[in-house]
Parts: sequence; C-alpha cells; structure tokens
Amino acid sequence: MSAPTQSSAGNNSGSFEQWRPLLAAAVKEVFSMMVGAEINVPEDVDPPVVTEVTGMVGLAGELCGVFSVRCSKICGSKIASKMLGVPATEAASHISDAIGEICNMAAGNFKAKIDGLQDKCMLSVPTVITGGDYQLYSLAVGDRIELPFLFEGEPVWVGLEVRS
Amino acid sequence: MAIRALIVDDSSVMRKIVERCLRQAGMDLGQVLEASNGAEALALVNENTFDLILSDINMPVMDGLEFVRHLKELENAKNVPIVMITTEGGEKSVLEALSLGAKGYIRKPFTPDQVKEHVIPVLGGKS
Repeated sequence: MSAPTQSSAGNNSGSFEQWRPLLAAAVKEVFSMMVGAEINVPEDVDPPVVTEVTGMVGLAGELCGVFSVRCSKICGSKIASKMLGVPATEAASHISDAIGEICNMAAGNFKAKIDGLQDKCMLSVPTVITGGDYQLYSLAVGDRIELPFLFEGEPVWVGLEVRS
Repeated sequence: MAIRALIVDDSSVMRKIVERCLRQAGMDLGQVLEASNGAEALALVNENTFDLILSDINMPVMDGLEFVRHLKELENAKNVPIVMITTEGGEKSVLEALSLGAKGYIRKPFTPDQVKEHVIPVLGGKS
C-alpha cells in the first residue's frame, strides 16, 4: 500500500496538520497487514475516549514526542485475537504485547511516510499502561493530533504529540 | 528438508505472526524456536542448529544489530542467513545490518508475500 501524500519533516507547525491523513493511512495499513482486519475512521460522531489500555512509543531526534494508541480491554483483546489467530478469551494475556506492537508499527509506518524523517527520528521500545486512572505528562508539549477509529465497533484513539 | 528457524523479537505476538507468515508463505518449517532479545537468541544458537534467523532490531537487553555482530563471530552459526524485521526501516539502520552480515530486511508492517519475497532467496533452495 502506498501513502496518499508525503510532507517534509521540517517546519513542524506548518506541516503538522498535513500529517493527519498520513497518520490515518499509517494506522489503517498496520491493521490491514498485521491484524488482518480493517479499522475505520468514524463517519459522523467521534467515539468515546477509552483508556483501559494505552500503548506509547517515544520519538526522539528531528521529531520529538510521543505516539500513543488507546483502547478498551475488550478492544485490545479483539485486536490480539486477530493478530494471533486465536479466540479472544485466549488472547487476553497478550493484550499489552499486541497494543504495544501496534503502537510501535504505526509510529514506524507514520515516520516512514514523512520525507527525510526516516533516519533522523528514532523510536523507543513501546510502553503499555493498563488501567485508565492516570495522567500523562510529557515534556513534548506542543502540537497534538488525536484521531479516532473504530475497530469492530470499539473505539481506538491514536495520538501524536510533538514538541514545537 | 524442513527449515529450522529462530525468530527473535521482544513481542511474543510478533513472533507468532512471523511464524504464521512463514507457514503461509508455503515454507516447510521444522523446529521453530523463539527468543525475546539478542542475548536469548545467542544462547539458543549455541545449543541448536538453524537454517534461518529472523530478528527484530529494536529490542531491550541486546538489540538486533549487536546480535548479528556476535552471531558472525560464532563458527557454528556465522553462515546462517539472517533477515532483519524492523520498524526502523531507515537507510542507516538497514545499511548497518547489511554491513554486519544480514542477508536482507523486512519492514513492519508486512504481508506474508513480502516475507516470502525476502526469505526464500536467502535460503539457497532449502525452502
């Protein structure tokens, strides 16, 4: 699959909003290729934000910030189930691993779509938080994209925060 | 002859996906062992014989590049073809992996066809 468009990594503030479709394409490709199922952007109302499972990958270098994927445990179980090819009940113990890897691949795939960024931005290994009663503080406070998706009817929120 | 493979990735989900892709690619897989980092992989290499190694790059404890570096120093394993599977698909990390002796690389996300396309050629007719 190919990216719809590409933007330069330079001048974050100017290109930031142009990254929204690239981010959506990166996430859709990961689900299509690695989960074996489609994830869709909701057509009308944004779904609720559910933060029972949060995957995070740090970005360092020319683009500095945090890439995140948030969903419910039920949704995480469905995703892990599809990735492993086992029933959702058997996949429950793999939710964190699956969401961490989805986050990692989506961040890497997004990075690959930005001209000139591939070798100038490194990804951390993923971190996964389970449970929703937390506040995340990032030094990379600046521009922020939040994109809602629906996976088998369950909300998935993908975020990108970058230091301005 | 069935291929003996070692899959190295810190994600257990990813290790299962890689194995499934190899089977979907029509490969005759025999023993498939898994390691979650380069250090674990080296321990398995010392005790087993493999025809193929697929390794992530970005891993804790020992990353994939360091693993390849050590692997190429082992007399019993230095000729085992290794293919890197990574989200870090930048030219720099890919070139470093290839210069260390990796036979190829696959960038995540990938399809079974892409795995087949990159793995079959390095097996030298063993698949």
